[in-house]
Amino acid sequence: MTDAALGNAQAAGNLWHYVGKLLWLRWVIFYSGFRRAKLRGKISTIVLGLLVLGGLAFAFTLSLLLLRLLRSPGLEQFIGDTRLLIAGVPVLVVSAAFVGILMTSFGVLLQALYLAGDMDFLLSAPVPLRAIFIAKLLQAILPNFGLILLFGLPVLYGLGASEGYNVLYYPLVLLVLAVLALAAAGLASLLVMAVVRVFPARRVAEVLGFFVAILSFICSQSGQFVRYSDLSHDQATRAFTLLTRLNSPWSPLAWAGRSLVDIGEGFWFSGLGLLLLTLVLTGGVFALSLATAERLYYSGWARVQISTRKKKAIYTRRSATAQNRELTVAVSRAVPSALRAIVIKDFLMLRRDIRNMSQLVTPIIMGIVYALLLIRSGGQPPAGRGEAPPVFMELLRNLMVYGNVGISLFVSWLLITRLAMMGFSQEGKNYWLLKAAPVSTATLLSAKYLVAYLPTLVLSWGFLVAISLVQHVSLGTLAFSLAVVALTIAGTAGLNLTFGVIGANFDWEDPRHITQGSSGCLSMLSSMVFIVISLGLFFGPAVLIKLMGGSEAVGQFIGLVLGGAASLACAFIPLWLVRKRVSRLGEAS
Amino acid sequence: MKTTGNPPLIETKNLIKHYGDKIAVNNVSFEVYGGEIFGFLGPNGAGKTTTIKMIIGLLQPTAGTVKVAGYDVQLQPLLAKAASGYVPDTPNLYPKLSGRELLRFVGDLYALDHNRIERRIDELLNLFDLYQAGDDPIDSYSHGMQQKTVLAAALMHDPRVLVLDEPTVGLDPRSARMIKDILRQMADRGAAVFLSTHILEIAERMCDRIGIINTGELIAVGTMDELRSLGKGETSLEDIFLSLTGGAEYAEIAEVLR
Repeated sequence: MTDAALGNAQAAGNLWHYVGKLLWLRWVIFYSGFRRAKLRGKISTIVLGLLVLGGLAFAFTLSLLLLRLLRSPGLEQFIGDTRLLIAGVPVLVVSAAFVGILMTSFGVLLQALYLAGDMDFLLSAPVPLRAIFIAKLLQAILPNFGLILLFGLPVLYGLGASEGYNVLYYPLVLLVLAVLALAAAGLASLLVMAVVRVFPARRVAEVLGFFVAILSFICSQSGQFVRYSDLSHDQATRAFTLLTRLNSPWSPLAWAGRSLVDIGEGFWFSGLGLLLLTLVLTGGVFALSLATAERLYYSGWARVQISTRKKKAIYTRRSATAQNRELTVAVSRAVPSALRAIVIKDFLMLRRDIRNMSQLVTPIIMGIVYALLLIRSGGQPPAGRGEAPPVFMELLRNLMVYGNVGISLFVSWLLITRLAMMGFSQEGKNYWLLKAAPVSTATLLSAKYLVAYLPTLVLSWGFLVAISLVQHVSLGTLAFSLAVVALTIAGTAGLNLTFGVIGANFDWEDPRHITQGSSGCLSMLSSMVFIVISLGLFFGPAVLIKLMGGSEAVGQFIGLVLGGAASLACAFIPLWLVRKRVSRLGEAS
Repeated sequence: MKTTGNPPLIETKNLIKHYGDKIAVNNVSFEVYGGEIFGFLGPNGAGKTTTIKMIIGLLQPTAGTVKVAGYDVQLQPLLAKAASGYVPDTPNLYPKLSGRELLRFVGDLYALDHNRIERRIDELLNLFDLYQAGDDPIDSYSHGMQQKTVLAAALMHDPRVLVLDEPTVGLDPRSARMIKDILRQMADRGAAVFLSTHILEIAERMCDRIGIINTGELIAVGTMDELRSLGKGETSLEDIFLSLTGGAEYAEIAEVLR
């Protein structure tokens, strides 16, 4: 392949002219989207922008105060000399920025190069290939670079202000972050191509989305387990030592950070030397990555997938089919075939589409986190000074048992709002298959109801039984709790599915964009209110009768009758009210 | 034509569809008989897909009636749908199901016997050259394979009425020929085949009768001979179509551009 083939014969000036054009086009698309957005969307974007600016100012002030704190004698007594740590801050920020951009650019470049669908159009236009790649890389960097600046710039500028660095330090911070971002994006583009060579791009995007969602969620919830008050002197010292180790003289990332500190402190020779080294190294990495990425893409290497899948032997499939046949026949006798088909299809789709899984796993993680917290607390009411009357303590203990039901229902609420609310919408553009088939409204509603109800029931019962076993809850109370959970979920499923019918949206590409309008919010609110009311109906009689010295079993029975009636009413009446709407779903108005 | 004495399997009477103020379909009436292939032609935005969606029960008409296999689509939708098969213009299928699973799903929706479903799946996968890919997820299929999977799904229950919206788009010549042969065989067995297409050669060669819709109104229905008699001496379907839909002047423009 010649340079001419790559479009490099064009003058360098032309190249940047085209890069500018492509970036301008991107801006026009963004601006056009903003201009055509609803007023609510415009206001949200402006508010977000203002919040970002406010966040920048806040982060700057916070960094300034923190860095001053690091120099305080009190802290030095606790973790030793902090000067090394302060000198390591730019290295830490620069390293984090590099790694952050490398990771986030992966997803953005995957989208830009393989999923955006505009590469063939751009490649067929009289635009140099290099200009297209530079524009794509810059597009990938810009949002992430903005985020890095949001978090990193206030810290680095705060450091400059607190340490009294000279004025050249401030623009050089921007320069160093920019060149590191370019190098990271260049490497990310090669990484994307290598991965897409093996796995389909869409699948990679799904898996990436799943892991990012789960990781973010785990990180946000892990704070529940950390006890900062237990942080020992040794642990603090070890953590700070680890941070200072990043500032190794052999690490290229450390050179960038050190150059900034040296220049800031006026050590011009070492500072400028390290800066030059950083610029050459990052520039080289970027140029090499860019040239390689262009060639890999243009030659087709990065667009043709190597087959890693092994064809399963046909007899394996056939024997599996034969094994399933007996079960299928047995089930089909008991359940109408269309109902069974929709339920099985939905379960398969939910399990196989990893983008759905990230949303479904969230309640499970939440459930585990809160169940562990409850178990860690021993599931017993605080003893206090032992002056409380025994009846009160007994009542409190009963409430703690019902607290298990609360956690179980919280987990089920998170899951069922997703499953029931999205029941119809998740059909997306494939809904025509169901609509064109001879499937009655009752069958369709029943199938969608079961798809939401069954997994939620299994999950919430699982949590309830596990927590109850750990806490040695009596069998009678457990049976009552199981019934309460089953009935409450039945009502919640009915309510959420009703809102799912009202707010059905079949026009989406990514499952994360299924929810449209306010029905999702209303669905969550109404089901939450219903759960609170139904719990009052279920537990109220038992608690009141117990307080009055009566039999708890009688109270529980009355509670089951009252709460059960309310739950069943919510399971059926709302769906009955929207039944006519179901047959008109998927029709443009 | 082999429709003499056959009952009409598709009947539309004064079919109207409004989208707000826009009239998409206006007073369309026609019949398609068992044993015939009926071609439905019209320029882009003429109302072809809207008409098809009303026939198949995907869209409620603003006024008028549609009967499929003698059943009113509005009053007896389940019976009408059980008798019909549909191939949409875009093959949107559940991407995470395999071709085999999708066909099994469709078979269950139409309440077919389990053994018949398995037998039919094997037949159709073999027929459409999808047997090897039958256990692969549909999102790994090419457009042509997806199009063939949709057709296989529409044929699962051996429908008496088959409605196809642009069935040959994206297919290689071999697959397109195979689909044409299948449609002919279905019609020969007494089914009514209703297809919309932009490829006038296909319509001219395959269809027993042709309907032309323009701006929501059915402007011509008949055999090729009957359509020729409506025109101004044109002999090819393309000329008749352009003459009736007012596109003949574009040929002159194209000539100037050469």
